[in-house]
Amino acid sequence: MMKHILMPLFSVCFLSAPLGAFGDDQDADDTDEFDVSEEILSIKGDPEYGEYLSGDCTGCHQVDGSYDGIPSITGWDEESFVWAMHSYKEKAREHPVMQMMAGRLSNDEIAALAAYFATLE
Amino acid sequence: MKLNRRTFLGTAAAASMSAPAVYAGGHGKPRVVVVGGGAGGATAARYIAKDSKGAIDVTLIEPTRTYYTCFFSNLYLGGFKDVEDIGHSYGNLAAAGVNVVHDWAVGVDRDAKTVSLAGGASVAYDKLILSPGIDFVDGAVQGWDLSSQNAMPHAYKAGSQTELLKAQLAAMPSGGTFALVAPPNPYRCPPGPYERISMVAHYLKNNNPTAKIIVADPKPKFSKMALFQEGWANHYDGMIDWIGSEFGGSNVSVNPDAMTVTIDGEETKVDVCNVIPAMKAGRIADMAGVTDGRWAPVNAADMSTKADPDVYVLGDASQQGDMPKSGFSANSQAKVCANAVRGALTGSKVFPAKFSNTCWSLISTNDGVKVGATYEATDEKIAKVDGFISKTGESADVRQATYEESEGWYSGITADMFG
Ligand SMILES: Cc1cc2nc3c(=O)[nH]c(=O)nc-3n(C[C@H](O)[C@H](O)[C@H](O)COP(=O)(O)OP(=O)(O)OC[C@H]3O[C@@H](n4cnc5c(N)ncnc54)[C@H](O)[C@@H]3O)c2cc1C
Ligand code: HEC
Repeated sequence: MMKHILMPLFSVCFLSAPLGAFGDDQDADDTDEFDVSEEILSIKGDPEYGEYLSGDCTGCHQVDGSYDGIPSITGWDEESFVWAMHSYKEKAREHPVMQMMAGRLSNDEIAALAAYFATLE
Repeated sequence: MKLNRRTFLGTAAAASMSAPAVYAGGHGKPRVVVVGGGAGGATAARYIAKDSKGAIDVTLIEPTRTYYTCFFSNLYLGGFKDVEDIGHSYGNLAAAGVNVVHDWAVGVDRDAKTVSLAGGASVAYDKLILSPGIDFVDGAVQGWDLSSQNAMPHAYKAGSQTELLKAQLAAMPSGGTFALVAPPNPYRCPPGPYERISMVAHYLKNNNPTAKIIVADPKPKFSKMALFQEGWANHYDGMIDWIGSEFGGSNVSVNPDAMTVTIDGEETKVDVCNVIPAMKAGRIADMAGVTDGRWAPVNAADMSTKADPDVYVLGDASQQGDMPKSGFSANSQAKVCANAVRGALTGSKVFPAKFSNTCWSLISTNDGVKVGATYEATDEKIAKVDGFISKTGESADVRQATYEESEGWYSGITADMFG
């Protein structure tokens, strides 16, 4: 499961953020061990709710996918997106802003965001 | 021209709309008027126009043709940005369907539901959104009033004031003195004066290294204080003299003709004096009768005012609870408000309010720090849920990554506001 999810995530990151969105402090992260249950991955997200919730993200992440110091999160496949959000929520991946932002989202809300951002090119 | 385009969009949207227009009674499309095209107002206008797809008539009233962001204006002072980097025009909002009117709102008739403009026109609304930012409290700093702003700039509304302060900084004599009078709480951008001190110090260190900075502060402590003080000691040792309220910093007067500052009875001749007075909601909020004291109290769920359910106040002018007065906060509040206003006018789905804020500050080259929090709406106020702050003693790598994030944030948030 982990490998299956991690591969697309990495490829997306390197495409959209050549400087390496994982940054130097990747050592501090625990993402190798991190796994998200089938139950969470199978939640069908509501893209309309996701669009509303995305208002909390688009002050930092640009909807047109451009990268300017904060990684692009548009056009990801939903599983990778859900995995990334849960890795912050469960604090397996370090980053104070993203741990806080993901920390208050429910599993359904993360699925909704994944569904919405997947629709953006 | 514009009318045709909007009429066309309106028909297309109306045909495909499943929810009934609950508010259109009598005069066709529901009308939203937004006063102030800054962080809050531009976001609200853009989101309502974009998401209603022509079903709502959105008019934005803003006197200036180019909005200079206060955010990153300190980086301009420090030499990290050009003034063009922080200017934004309204062309993209107009292209997104917002009717942009360059004029001042000079009055609000809440019974007739109209806004009057300095140019003489009157604009009718079903929902009115005010995001006028701040004005200064008269007599807040003894010896200073708006007529002194050329001798002693505030540079707390960005644009010509910021350019003036920069020119004065550059013209300081070798070994001269830069004074800053900090404001009392609550005010726009809690770390703003201290980021400014850092950026002024950065400029002086490179261009006028024997110059001094004195700060008179009416507060005993300030936002990110430990982080700033650590940074000042690391980068600008001995240059900055911060005088807090315990040491007489609240007892201050200025003389713009003589260019003197008197702190706790001690008069100092200075070369530049940046006076940042106490603040209140932009005047139009007062004229609309939605303020109570200096600010406009609002309901956290949708940013409607306590005084009138059809008048909303966003950003710095609002009194909402725990959020700091920042561009990030104004943008966040605007999106909650836009969702609620659109729901009220067209019956679209209204989702629960969620807010967030992050404020970055640059202390020196690649030395960035940040503070942020998430918030929710309660019956009484916007209440803090969770937060974080950079730590003292962080590695240079972390500080550089934080600075780089702030660059990404600036691009992101200005695109979210101005399209
Ligand atoms: C030095 C400094 C640094 C800052 N740094 C940051 C930062 O790093 N991050 C951050 O998030 N925030 C920062 N801020 C704060 C941020 O700029 C404000 O909180 C934000 O702009 C508030 O948005 P607003 O919509 O309430 O008001 P504003 O953005 O000020 O917009 C108000 C608009 O209303 C217009 N207006 C006023 N009266 C009328 C009228 N009667 N009719 C028509 N139009 C009118 C004005 O022309 C203006 O364009 C900083 C502020 C300063 C001063
Ligand atoms: C205050 C700015 C900010 C906000 C708001 C924000 N993010 Fe982020 N986000 C970042 C930064 C910075 C990173 C890079 C973090 C890191 O290095 O791990 C990031 C990383 C991410 C990643 C992983 C990207 C990658 O390439 O691996 C995802 C997914 C993400 N954010 C989604 C979101 C969503 C969804 C929201 C809204 C609920 C959001 N973010 C809100 C700043 C923000």
